[in-house]
Amino acid sequence: MIYVLYSIVLLICIYTGRHYGFTLNRLFGFQRHPYIDIDTADWPALTVLVAAHNEEKVIANILEALMTVHYPADKMLIIPVNDRSTDGTRAIIDTFVERFPGRIRPFHRTGGKPGKAAALKDAMEIVETEIILIFDADYLPGAGLIRQLAAPFFDPEVGGVMGRVVPLNVDTNLLTRLLDLERSGGYQVDQQARMNLRLVPQHGGTVAGVRRSALREIGGWNEESLTEDTDLTYRLLLHGWKTAYQNRSECYEEVPETWKVRIKQIMRWAKGHNQAMVTYGIRLLLGRHRATLRERIDGTLLLGVYAMAPVTLLGWTLALAVFYQGIAPLHGVIALLCFTAYAALGNVAAFFEIAAAVRLDGTPTRIRLLPLLIMGFVVSIFSVSRAALSQTKDAITGAEFHWDKTERFRKVAS
Amino acid sequence: MSPYLAVAALFSFVSLLLALPLVPAILELHRKSDAMPLSVIQQNAGEIRHFADSFRIYIKRLEPDLQRSFSSGQAATGTLPDGTNYMVLGGPDEPIPTQGNACPVLIATNSDLKTPPGITFLKDIYAGRDFAGGENNNYRAILANGNIQLGPSTCVLRWLHASGELSVGSGCVLQGRVSSDCAVRLQRECTFLRLNAPFIATSEPENSGNTRPDPFEGREFSPTVDRVLHDGDFEIKADEIIRTNLVVRGDLRVGAGARVCGSLKSCKDMVLESHACVEGSLISGRRMHIGPHCAIYGPVIAEREMFIETGTRCGSRAKATTVSAPHIEVEEGVLIFGTLWARESGRVVAKA
Repeated sequence: MIYVLYSIVLLICIYTGRHYGFTLNRLFGFQRHPYIDIDTADWPALTVLVAAHNEEKVIANILEALMTVHYPADKMLIIPVNDRSTDGTRAIIDTFVERFPGRIRPFHRTGGKPGKAAALKDAMEIVETEIILIFDADYLPGAGLIRQLAAPFFDPEVGGVMGRVVPLNVDTNLLTRLLDLERSGGYQVDQQARMNLRLVPQHGGTVAGVRRSALREIGGWNEESLTEDTDLTYRLLLHGWKTAYQNRSECYEEVPETWKVRIKQIMRWAKGHNQAMVTYGIRLLLGRHRATLRERIDGTLLLGVYAMAPVTLLGWTLALAVFYQGIAPLHGVIALLCFTAYAALGNVAAFFEIAAAVRLDGTPTRIRLLPLLIMGFVVSIFSVSRAALSQTKDAITGAEFHWDKTERFRKVAS
Repeated sequence: MSPYLAVAALFSFVSLLLALPLVPAILELHRKSDAMPLSVIQQNAGEIRHFADSFRIYIKRLEPDLQRSFSSGQAATGTLPDGTNYMVLGGPDEPIPTQGNACPVLIATNSDLKTPPGITFLKDIYAGRDFAGGENNNYRAILANGNIQLGPSTCVLRWLHASGELSVGSGCVLQGRVSSDCAVRLQRECTFLRLNAPFIATSEPENSGNTRPDPFEGREFSPTVDRVLHDGDFEIKADEIIRTNLVVRGDLRVGAGARVCGSLKSCKDMVLESHACVEGSLISGRRMHIGPHCAIYGPVIAEREMFIETGTRCGSRAKATTVSAPHIEVEEGVLIFGTLWARESGRVVAKA
């Protein structure tokens, strides 16, 4: 038992070091934004896919925003991927098609496998351009965003691009404010540090882009995946394509406003991520492919992020058991420090990361909410562990995964 | 004190201590003093002319004064609603108001404008026609509807825009955004950060590049999607023709006269020898050295440093492009169509 606990502490320490490393890099290291200065070019033709499943509350906003972006109109085609919607999504899309002839080509999907990856896969039949950008329907791209997301594709090594997601409905309640802090840490520090250190920035599946030839090379969208973005990140990596993160390519999104929706969302992410871990973990770390050593290590750690929740819970249980059994767990001051830090929060470095991100964003007052983040942390750790358990059970019983769309909270556009 | 009371007191005290860090959090949650979404610029796409365009709108309120002074030849002074003092000049020979070596007011005119040497202009300048600046001047910002000519050793601190051609004398320092709707010509030892124009020439006047033949003129490239990935260093031999995109994980050397029908990426250093021609983009993870008389059609990006030798041209008259690196040195006789952006320092150096 004690050796299992030692291993868990070691794992926690590795992740702690990783978080601190990323944060210190963002605060003091060389910052890579190689493509952000490309403001003049012979811009490539591209297609913007807008994934929409029952999105009548939000679809008009994104289509309106896309019509005003600064990108040559003759080089940008918008394909709203209306995936089996049963609300007014289709009618709204068709209104835009009439208003902007030639600029929007709708893809109305009435059947087939559920899920975003499956919908995108089907929509690829009508995509003709080499560059494809992807947005979820609740996003609001700014005027310069399309150019910023297209720019990295001038680099022939780049297969995927990811922009930064910024919550719009921050002031709704405690949850949205906590999610705002989490997003800040995840993008401003985590993603950018991985970009700086030439590690594995993660494709987020929205505010993102992919090169069609790269997608074709890796076998297209994986409709079996619950998180097509994570799946895409790793398949690109294994085939020698890079995902570029553009921290200054920011786009507003709507975050969940109720804990129920949030729990559902994070459970889906956890299941998808764990699915990718099982599929690509060993191959990434030990297989023969084009990823560098640092990408192998970072990619593996990234794959294990959601698995750390049940591991941490197990660690807490074991620590208590060890204590009540009177087993001296470790010796010396280091052991005491390890256990104290570990037992207190599991991994405090994530909080340090978020604090640094908020400072980098220049919004330091919201850092006062940091102690409340423990609530979000506890909810996440139990939800993710629950997802892992249910996934294990599904794997044993052979039950199929099913895809849950995240509920929207925006008022219907008038 | 009874032991029960002592335990209760201790419990309350510890609870209070534990709750203490939550007080600012709960107050912030209640007050929402920092609950706005992070500011994301939705409408401004980072255009280089953004400040110039804003200033053009700002200066519109001086239009009656500008017209009156232009027709009467008389100067006018006043204060704008934001408290900025201004002087509208009646003609090009009107004296500039100074206090010591500094001009403290916004200067505007609908005619040509000439400034004497050795002056620091603390406010922005607007010239309805051409602008000619004396040497050793310091400017905050200049907008001219005609050509702008900056004297040697001039410094521009924030931005500059010329609707006509911009000529920059030797040893000038151009900080911030500098743009022209026609052309930018830079003399040696000029330093710059962000430049944009249909063409930017680091010129010997007799060989400004404007008259040199454009190797890409009239050609339409169909970009290749094929890619070759090479681990380690790689060399493209002299006069070799490559018809693919090439990604090299080490250093890349492109031999003299080689032609690449695609884009090139080196994760480390990249060297182009003379007369190399690339129809796509050039991306280097570290340093890039572009030899003399090369031609590159697409964006040129180096993550650390870039050196461009004389006779090289980037982009074409029909298709502008971006040349960018944190540190850039450009020899005289280089021609760039579009944007030249040195994130930290850019310099024009004498031809070796």
